[in-house]
Amino acid sequence: MAKYVLYRLGDAIPTLFLVLTLVFIAMRILPGDPALAALGPMADPVQLALFRERMGLNEPLPLQYIYFLWDAIRLDFGRSFISDVPVADLIARNLPHTIYLTIVSVLMGLCLGIPFGVFAATRRNRPPDNALRIYSLIGYSIPDFYLAAILLIVFSLQLGWFPINGAGTGFWDGLHHILLPAMTLAMLKSAFMGRLTRTSVLEVLGRDYVRTARAKGAREGRVIYRHGLRNAMLPLSTGIGISILATLSGSVAVELVFNRPGIGRLLIDAISERDYPVIQAGVMMFAFFVILVNLVMDVVYVFVDPRIRMKS
Amino acid sequence: MTEPLLDIRNLCVDFGPASKPLRVAHNISFTVGAGETVGLVGESGSGKSMTALSVLRLVPEAARLSGEILYGGRDLLALPKRDMPEVRGKEIGMVFQEPMSSLNPVMTIGAQIEEAILLHERMPAAERRKRVIDLLRLVGMPDPEARVNAYPGQFSGGMRQRVMAAIAMACNPRLLIADEPTTALDVTIQAQVLAMMLDIRDRLNSAILLITHDLGVVAEVCERIVVMYAGHVVEDADVHTLFSRPRHPYTQGLLQSVPTLTDTRKRLYQIPGSVPPAGTITQGCPFRARCPKRLDRCAVEMPPMVTQGPSHRAACWATAMEAVA
Ligand SMILES: Nc1ncnc2c1ncn2[C@@H]1O[C@H](COP(=O)(O)OP(=O)(O)O)[C@@H](O)[C@H]1O
Ligand SMILES: [Mg+2]
Repeated sequence: MAKYVLYRLGDAIPTLFLVLTLVFIAMRILPGDPALAALGPMADPVQLALFRERMGLNEPLPLQYIYFLWDAIRLDFGRSFISDVPVADLIARNLPHTIYLTIVSVLMGLCLGIPFGVFAATRRNRPPDNALRIYSLIGYSIPDFYLAAILLIVFSLQLGWFPINGAGTGFWDGLHHILLPAMTLAMLKSAFMGRLTRTSVLEVLGRDYVRTARAKGAREGRVIYRHGLRNAMLPLSTGIGISILATLSGSVAVELVFNRPGIGRLLIDAISERDYPVIQAGVMMFAFFVILVNLVMDVVYVFVDPRIRMKS
Repeated sequence: MTEPLLDIRNLCVDFGPASKPLRVAHNISFTVGAGETVGLVGESGSGKSMTALSVLRLVPEAARLSGEILYGGRDLLALPKRDMPEVRGKEIGMVFQEPMSSLNPVMTIGAQIEEAILLHERMPAAERRKRVIDLLRLVGMPDPEARVNAYPGQFSGGMRQRVMAAIAMACNPRLLIADEPTTALDVTIQAQVLAMMLDIRDRLNSAILLITHDLGVVAEVCERIVVMYAGHVVEDADVHTLFSRPRHPYTQGLLQSVPTLTDTRKRLYQIPGSVPPAGTITQGCPFRARCPKRLDRCAVEMPPMVTQGPSHRAACWATAMEAVA
């Protein structure tokens, strides 16, 4: 088991390396001069040259690449061009908000989506199933920023049930602030999870071992949850991983609309201000999460499915 | 005669729309007495599995059942759906045709056998676990204490079929239905699993309905044989009578195609032609196209089951004529 995790961890290293390389290349081919972006169009040539020298932009590219990797390994992301705050501080300040939003919305999405999917699967082609079909169609086709705006207008501006922006202070206030943004993402995720659960459960309920469970005298509830859902968890855990990643990317729009702090917000602001060190760190942060979620999912698989455990 | 344990009367299994039903079992009627071992034989596609699954009402959702299935005098088909779990596993155990897919891949075999007990009987956990080991020993699983925590994927088809048998026997059911328990296995394993079935039959006094397309198997195991063809029961007799005086041309053909030790024939006999797919024969006897004794009447009317002797019935116009003559 531990060996398997280590092995998977080893697998993640080349991916991480590849991501770093892509970020490096992307930052170098992005239009615009970082020095010009940092110091503004009015900066005098001496200052610009000095800046380039200090940032190592005059070194040959391979050497820059090695410096870049070295900094990344030490988690040294430099300072923001705009605010001169260490990027690591910016990340540390914003990351918890994004993680909180992701956790709350994924949990809400699963709690909505999985029972809805099971309910629909066991009532195939009857009203609950059709309701899920319509719900997921809406969930699939509505863009996240649009849903966020609608919820904001209806529940915050018109009904006044939720605060309009920010993250709040303290646990309860924070919860009050996060409900609506989390709901936005949860609705989209639950549409996806509901659909996936329905399909997986239906597929599993047609299996021979489900018939065996019935032949033993198991009642429907036990058949569905003990034998059906447990086996459906295999495809579902992939779906949960995808959900988490989709929620992360969705958080960009939601943080923007609800004016919440977070990595997505940080990244968007950095892009509009050409704040290269921050963009670089933000992109790396997202990439890091994608790799982490995939890694965790791989390990979860092994727990759920003894067949993989036996092979490894 | 005492009331039979299982009494199937005019069972019909239909698929497709009610306006244009596809009937895969036509007026199936036969009985299984308490403690009796009955063989249900017929070529693949003759409706044996659908008949067996009907008893526990485990047919696919699309299938519609009609007729009566009396178990201990109670009509299982008339039972409310929610009462079926009390019959399944407790009164009637079932072993399926597909050992490779009939066990839950993410549960240990011990947990799966234990569940079968848990669903019907209350007992301390330690006692239940001991019962699981005993069951595994009964079905001939080597080293049961160690293998009880293994997953189905770690077993061969033959071993999985033993686990299935342990599940089916977990609550000592009065009737065991085994749907081609050996068909999916290698020949040598077939013999071992069959020996296990015989052993179970001798040690417990459950009645067994053994489904197979192999007459050699039923000759060894069963007391009585029911022959099915294209969704119809065509003959029903005790083993001795059926092998010495088969009355239906289909049964006669089946018997001729069984190899014997004293066989001097170069090639085994085979009934010419093949089983017509369900729904293609709407009138007359479904066997007539392959029948050496067919009469004009066979194309018009399905022959009824006619008594041929004590505990011997057959459905054939030609045979009925001979009986009269
Ligand atoms: N789900 C289904 N829908 C329609 N026809 C079916 C279905 N399942 C089985 N059948 C038909 O029922 C007939 C009997 O099948 P089965 O009972 O499995 O035969 P056997 O067990 O004797 O080989 C076959 O002709 C088969 O095509
Ligand atoms: Mg069959």
